[in-house]
Amino acid sequence: MTREPRQDAPRPPSGLWELYLGFLAIGARSFGGVLPWAHRVLVEERRWIAPADFAEVLALCQFLPGPNVGNVSIVLGRRWFGPAGSAAAFLGLMALPLVWVFALALLYAEHAASPGVRAVVTGVGIAGGGLFIGTAWKLARPLAKKPWALALAAACLGALAFGRISLFFVLPVAALAGFAAARRDLL
Amino acid sequence: MIPKLAFYFALLSLVSVGGIPSVMPEMQRVAVEVEGWMSAAEFTQVFAVAQAAPGPNVLVTALVGWKVAGIAGGLVALAAFCVPAAALSYSVGGLWDRMRDAPWRKAIQRALVPITVGFVASGGYVLATPAGLDWRAAAIAAASATAIAATRINPLWFLAAGGAAGYFLF
Repeated sequence: MTREPRQDAPRPPSGLWELYLGFLAIGARSFGGVLPWAHRVLVEERRWIAPADFAEVLALCQFLPGPNVGNVSIVLGRRWFGPAGSAAAFLGLMALPLVWVFALALLYAEHAASPGVRAVVTGVGIAGGGLFIGTAWKLARPLAKKPWALALAAACLGALAFGRISLFFVLPVAALAGFAAARRDLL
Repeated sequence: MIPKLAFYFALLSLVSVGGIPSVMPEMQRVAVEVEGWMSAAEFTQVFAVAQAAPGPNVLVTALVGWKVAGIAGGLVALAAFCVPAAALSYSVGGLWDRMRDAPWRKAIQRALVPITVGFVASGGYVLATPAGLDWRAAAIAAASATAIAATRINPLWFLAAGGAAGYFLF
């Protein structure tokens, strides 16, 4: 894999508290989906990790079961500070959203009868879905000159989003096809 | 009820490859049809609130648990869903870092990037089409997708705009 020249090499956080606060910042702002915020905070703002490295860690974490960005916090926390790092990053990520989701659920339970409230909540959810699509677009940019990689991405999208085929079928097939193609240097 | 929640969400944790979106249909089936913890409409509302709240969408497990057994149920469901997967990530993450130069790792890595792109895009599509393909939803989603791909503006603005558009369109 070719790496882009860096103006500014990424530097990992200097301590557990800084790590905790970084993931707290991701959780605090992550309306509509955590992934765009994880990318923004870890790669763009704090520069703890290089873009290509982030894409690799994320790819692994999508492959593993469990919440994707939760897994990112476990893997990166471990890489930098061992078990304490995993715990700090994961708890930082979850702390504020957990409080807010309960508060919002109570609030929504009181106002769920209002069609206006329902329409706003729907609009926010759809815009959050759009952020995922835009993030996928960003992640796909390094693949622009790799037709087989784009075909694999398109096939996954078609099977899951449009074919509504079970992930338990799509994932192993895509992983085997991708692995075989990568061994032949097609990806 | 709480031990049942813990067992059920721990089991779900281990098969949640691809994260929460891939296990939503199974979670809905059990909560609504098998256990009768809530109606289908209530389940959909719970999911919408978890989507609208900040944070990982895994928090929907906390809201389902909360509906069943209060705050304690919510915390147990969330922990049961996160801990088995976290333990797996922890062990595999270390192996992954140690095998940095292994050829099989490089092949898996190259294979996973396009697969990830397809999965993230699918998650976005499914989230953006709660009632099937609809021009209003497509317009809101396309606007926020373009905005985050093309600008560095705080994405919270795009979500607020989506909420405002939803108010007038739906």
